[in-house]
Amino acid sequence: MVDWTTAQDWLAWSFSPSISAILLTLFLSLALPLSIHAYLYRQRASSVTPSFLLLGPTGAGKTSLQTLFERGNATPTHTSQSPATVTCALPRDVTAASSKYRSTNDPSAKTERKLHLIDTPGHGKLRHHAFSALTAPALSGLIFVVDSAALSSANGLTEAATYLHDLLLALQKRHTSAKTSKGPKTLNVLVAANKQDLFTALPAQLVRKNLEREITKVRDTRAKGLLDSGVGGDEDEEEREWLGEGGEGAFEFRQMEECGVEVQVVGGNVRAEGDEAPHVQNWWAWVAENM
Amino acid sequence: MLDQFEILTTSGVVLWSKTYVPVNANVVNSLINDVFIEERIQAGTKTGEDAHAARNTPFKKDKYTLKWSTAKDVGLIFVAVYQSILHLSWVDNLLDVVRALFIKEFGKDLRKSTTTTKVDYSGFNQTFDALVAKLDKSSGEAIARQSEPESTSTGELTPPSSSAGTEDGLDQPPLPPVPGFKKAPQKPLYNDTASTDATPIATPDTSRPNSPAVNHLLTAKTGPGGKGSRRARKAQLTSSAPVSSGDESPARNTRSQAKKVATKAKRRWDIDGTAIEGDEDSTLDYSSHDIRDGGDAEASQIEDIRAEDMGSRTAKGAFVLKDLDDEVDAILAESKAKQTGGASIEPAKSSGIVGSGFGAVSGYFRNIVGGKTLTKEDLVKPLKAMEDHLVEKNVAREAAVRLCESAERDLIGLKTSNFTSIDTTLRASMSRALTHMLTPTSSLDLLRSIQRTTTDPSSPRPYTISIVGVNGVGKSTSLGKLAFFLLQNNLRVLVCAADTFRSGAVEQLRVHVRNLSELARRENRGTIELYEKGYGKDAAVLARDAVAFARTRDAATGKLNFDVVLVDTAGRRHNDTRLMSSLTKFGQLVQPDKIFMVGEALVGSDSVAQARNFSAQFVDAAGKGRGLDGFVISKCDTVGDMVGTLVSMVHATGIPIVFLGVGQHYADLRGLNVGWAVDKLMK
Ligand SMILES: Nc1nc2c(ncn2[C@@H]2O[C@H](COP(=O)(O)OP(=O)(O)OP(=O)(O)O)[C@@H](O)[C@H]2O)c(=O)[nH]1
Ligand SMILES: [Mg+2]
Repeated sequence: MVDWTTAQDWLAWSFSPSISAILLTLFLSLALPLSIHAYLYRQRASSVTPSFLLLGPTGAGKTSLQTLFERGNATPTHTSQSPATVTCALPRDVTAASSKYRSTNDPSAKTERKLHLIDTPGHGKLRHHAFSALTAPALSGLIFVVDSAALSSANGLTEAATYLHDLLLALQKRHTSAKTSKGPKTLNVLVAANKQDLFTALPAQLVRKNLEREITKVRDTRAKGLLDSGVGGDEDEEEREWLGEGGEGAFEFRQMEECGVEVQVVGGNVRAEGDEAPHVQNWWAWVAENM
Repeated sequence: MLDQFEILTTSGVVLWSKTYVPVNANVVNSLINDVFIEERIQAGTKTGEDAHAARNTPFKKDKYTLKWSTAKDVGLIFVAVYQSILHLSWVDNLLDVVRALFIKEFGKDLRKSTTTTKVDYSGFNQTFDALVAKLDKSSGEAIARQSEPESTSTGELTPPSSSAGTEDGLDQPPLPPVPGFKKAPQKPLYNDTASTDATPIATPDTSRPNSPAVNHLLTAKTGPGGKGSRRARKAQLTSSAPVSSGDESPARNTRSQAKKVATKAKRRWDIDGTAIEGDEDSTLDYSSHDIRDGGDAEASQIEDIRAEDMGSRTAKGAFVLKDLDDEVDAILAESKAKQTGGASIEPAKSSGIVGSGFGAVSGYFRNIVGGKTLTKEDLVKPLKAMEDHLVEKNVAREAAVRLCESAERDLIGLKTSNFTSIDTTLRASMSRALTHMLTPTSSLDLLRSIQRTTTDPSSPRPYTISIVGVNGVGKSTSLGKLAFFLLQNNLRVLVCAADTFRSGAVEQLRVHVRNLSELARRENRGTIELYEKGYGKDAAVLARDAVAFARTRDAATGKLNFDVVLVDTAGRRHNDTRLMSSLTKFGQLVQPDKIFMVGEALVGSDSVAQARNFSAQFVDAAGKGRGLDGFVISKCDTVGDMVGTLVSMVHATGIPIVFLGVGQHYADLRGLNVGWAVDKLMK
């Protein structure tokens, strides 16, 4: 029982009023909380970089927006075939919601707030990338980019509205299915009405109205349309879920708040003619608010 | 000359580009859409390896021809755009070389997952210009060579070939004045320089081991073939490669070639406008000093970049260029060897018995635990099993092979994640491939389209749908189901019996219409009528008349009498050319809004050939035309899980599946749920 005696010795020593024992206890009591704090802080800081998902029909300007957010100027782009994640830093002139109450002298306020931006392809065949990315860790918000100029044509509007309808329906389903376990956290959607620099672009207010109206129509024809093959023959209609308040009346983005989704439509443009600056501050502000 | 060269990522960001003449972004976008996403034009790749540019079918759009090459492991696409009236045979080489050099220079940055787009790639400009200058001269210089026969002994990349020269030369005059063309008048000047200033220019070459014998060998070998046509020249290009690669250091330059290179270097700087102000007599050594010390900001910056990238190599412009030459030749030789040699140069791995034994054990272990990097060999067996599995599900062998290839391309070089076996990984990848194939580009919302056509503010008209297919697949039944669905949505339907061929067809439709109108009356939803003129009439004319009849308006209200016209056509064997070609006329005369083809899900039907032949009828020889709009697959309820026909049809034509018939009742029509189909296939 050698161990036992040494342990006893140690114990005896630590309770003895010798100066070295006092110093050691003092040191431990000061250093431990500090190191634990440092450890936890590191852990947390590295794991909670918030992600934002970029969605929208093809040619809307998602990839352009991503490059703009990443490095301050938009590069030429082509149709995307695969998703891509980049890390961006929040510009200094916008403050993230989560650091609103930080003191101005807090040293962490000086460091850049980082966020991940996930770009997805908008081509009809490749939207499954976007829907599977909805489960990304630390997803803080969705940015649905639309081409405000293309929305004035019937086809462009239908395409955007169908995609947005499917997205909102997926969010609603996610909300209802998660209800049973723990309360799902809210996931807000920014409809970025892009290309406001173009002469033919619809203003954000009109973009909102048109989308709402078109989504109503999409929902109606979905209701009237054929069942799809995934639904078993004997299953009843009740199994299907409708967007918004039971699928009745006109759809409004406001109805989504019921399932923790707040939809905002904000205008802006990634590209600008000549030496004008791109107009994306409002989108940054939204991102900051949702961080 | 080239119009544009771009290097872009699969996520859509253009990393680097060089534009000679601005090209609309849509041109490259349609390449991506047609070739990479819709896979309408098949990529030439057989395996996971990246295609060599020459093996990829050039893509034509508007007046442009696009050649391309990919680097799958770093997710890059290289695209060269030029006007179709030019025949730029060197573009293939350019693509191969640019790919190799770009990846060599930036590969490390590219493999880092998130910073790809932030890297500054502008350093590549110099390399690219040098490459174009080097490769392009094969066509440009041929003209000069004709007038100076004594210079033909230069063992250039492209062997001297007078006829090829003329061909390319003839191609150039109609070309618009693009920047590159400005080179032409300067050419004789340089050739002069080359001959007079031989000694000073050759200085950088002295350190280079060269043997005149090699040169003779090369010329001797390439000489005779060069007299032939363009084809001969091409053959030569390929044959010259093994010669140089057989050498220890591939493509050794001869003295005279070095001379050429030196002049080229000079020309390049001149075109960039960096140095040399008209002083043509100065030696290159002097001019390169000029470049270094002359205070030209751009030039010095360039040199910095080069020096950084090339490490210990000298910063002298000319020298770097010459290194590049060697490299270019090596790359080209390799790519040619690969192209011709095929499997022969595949690295024969021999790692001894112990090594392979250990490898097998650890490989087996990794297979279970995961974390294994997949190679072609690993995948052979699982892929074969997967292929057989798909064929068992009634997928046509051809389609199964293609799916397996795309899965293989997807997986080679991938690391399996923890506790995931190869099989699981493969299944996931195959599900993705199937989803990709079956998902339509834009989902069909039939009711919306109908509504839009009939309420069009300027010219409302009824919406016309035709049904085609071989005999006995259930055309009329499917038409009945479709009519029922439309009636449920309170639409007024006119059914046109354009099967004036098979006896009993009209009667069959009449029964359907009677049943349906009874149903409609009971539910008080929609109306349905039959338009028929008996047998023997020309089907196309009959259908046109039916559409005209449906266009008539109600005298009292001024509204259209019908919303939808459903046209039933005679079933025909897809290999009966006479009957099939009458479909073409039908398409032109009736101009239906939608043409659906009915195919059956049953095992053993030659669905692929059917689908191909039918869709070909609505497309003209130039590949233009409306084509089919979708498939209706009937009798899906009889096949259980073996829904492979769906895949075969889409594979053969790229046309989406819009409806599935799942039973005997009018209500047994369904849309396609891709997830459902994939689940059944992977079960
Ligand atoms: N005028 C104008 N053009 C823009 C703007 N934003 C993007 N574009 C252009 O729109 C085109 C498409 O942009 P992308 O970013 O590639 O579109 P995307 O949403 O990524 O499209 P997919 O990758 O196909 O889903 C590009 O040519 C951009 O230059 C804008 O604010 N104004
Ligand atoms: Mg994109």
